[in-house]
Amino acid sequence: MPPYKIPKRVKHRKEFRRVRDRKATKGNYVAFGEFGLQALEPCWLKSNCIEAGRVTCQHFLKREGKLFIRVFPDKPISKKPLETRMGKGKAEVDYWAARVKPGTVLFELAGVSEARARGAFFRIAMKMPVRCRMIGRRIEA
Amino acid sequence: MSDTTTELSAQLRERTGSRYSQRVRKAGGLPAVVYGHKEEPVSITVDAHTAIGYISKGEKVFHMDIAGAKQYVLLKDLGYDYLGTNIIHADFARVDMNERVDTKARLKLVGEAVGLKTTGAIMMHPITELQLNCTVTNFPDDIVVDVSDMEVGDAIHASDITLPKDTMVLLTDPGAIIAQIVMKAVQEEEGEAAEVGADGATPEVIAEKKDAE
Repeated sequence: MPPYKIPKRVKHRKEFRRVRDRKATKGNYVAFGEFGLQALEPCWLKSNCIEAGRVTCQHFLKREGKLFIRVFPDKPISKKPLETRMGKGKAEVDYWAARVKPGTVLFELAGVSEARARGAFFRIAMKMPVRCRMIGRRIEA
Repeated sequence: MSDTTTELSAQLRERTGSRYSQRVRKAGGLPAVVYGHKEEPVSITVDAHTAIGYISKGEKVFHMDIAGAKQYVLLKDLGYDYLGTNIIHADFARVDMNERVDTKARLKLVGEAVGLKTTGAIMMHPITELQLNCTVTNFPDDIVVDVSDMEVGDAIHASDITLPKDTMVLLTDPGAIIAQIVMKAVQEEEGEAAEVGADGATPEVIAEKKDAE
């Protein structure tokens, strides 16, 4: 299995689910690169999805450009084993996920042409569990 | 800056708040506010299509006609929707044409860098704008930076940039990197070292550690 990113230290082993039908108010614009891939739907983005996106982007771009990953899977998601009765406490952590809200920028690219960035983001978007779109830097006052 | 200041007409907006602002947007307007010069802030509406057209071209100073009263205003801030696509609000500050103001000017990198022909070399430009203090009449459209002589490892700092006018004062940190050519492989090794855990590995729990003590 490839190494997925997880936090080094956490305050608590398990977390509540919490509300996730909110819109992104931060991390919703291109900050580091020239182009970005923006999520249009909410999800808990698994660490393996982020890794799959990174791998497919590097495979497509070879050694060109720089990829910025703007989300980090810091939310532990627990899951009860199959054929288990309800109760007996909260289950063990199954995977780690990043909280993604509509508008969150998932990946950014720098040092590539728009056509190459579009190609890379198209391939990354195929690996994502939500609808995504490519955006550029926004106009600042 | 262009020789003539852009004219922009605005209407006073008497009812404020998100609900009324939404109605203004639906009617093709852009809610905005004008403040500064120790006068009361005024809520206004400008035509969205015209205003956003000028703003996207890089215009910052406007000669605004607010219900008959004309004054010069400077674009200070823009509000975006949650997807960062649509401009939903604009802030304007009253200015005199001879006043010195703090503003941002876009950087335009020109030329094909020599160092980029090396395999694995990429150009990083973390800053896209320079903060300047200048008179309103001397507003630069773009600050052009020639990167054609840059080799791998070279960096252009904010202090290296020649400003279009002598009267302009650079506010950005002089040591800030404007453009730098780096080898991608070296960068990756530095960036990927931390935070990688094997599948199934569990992170250290701070709360449990405290309980054990």
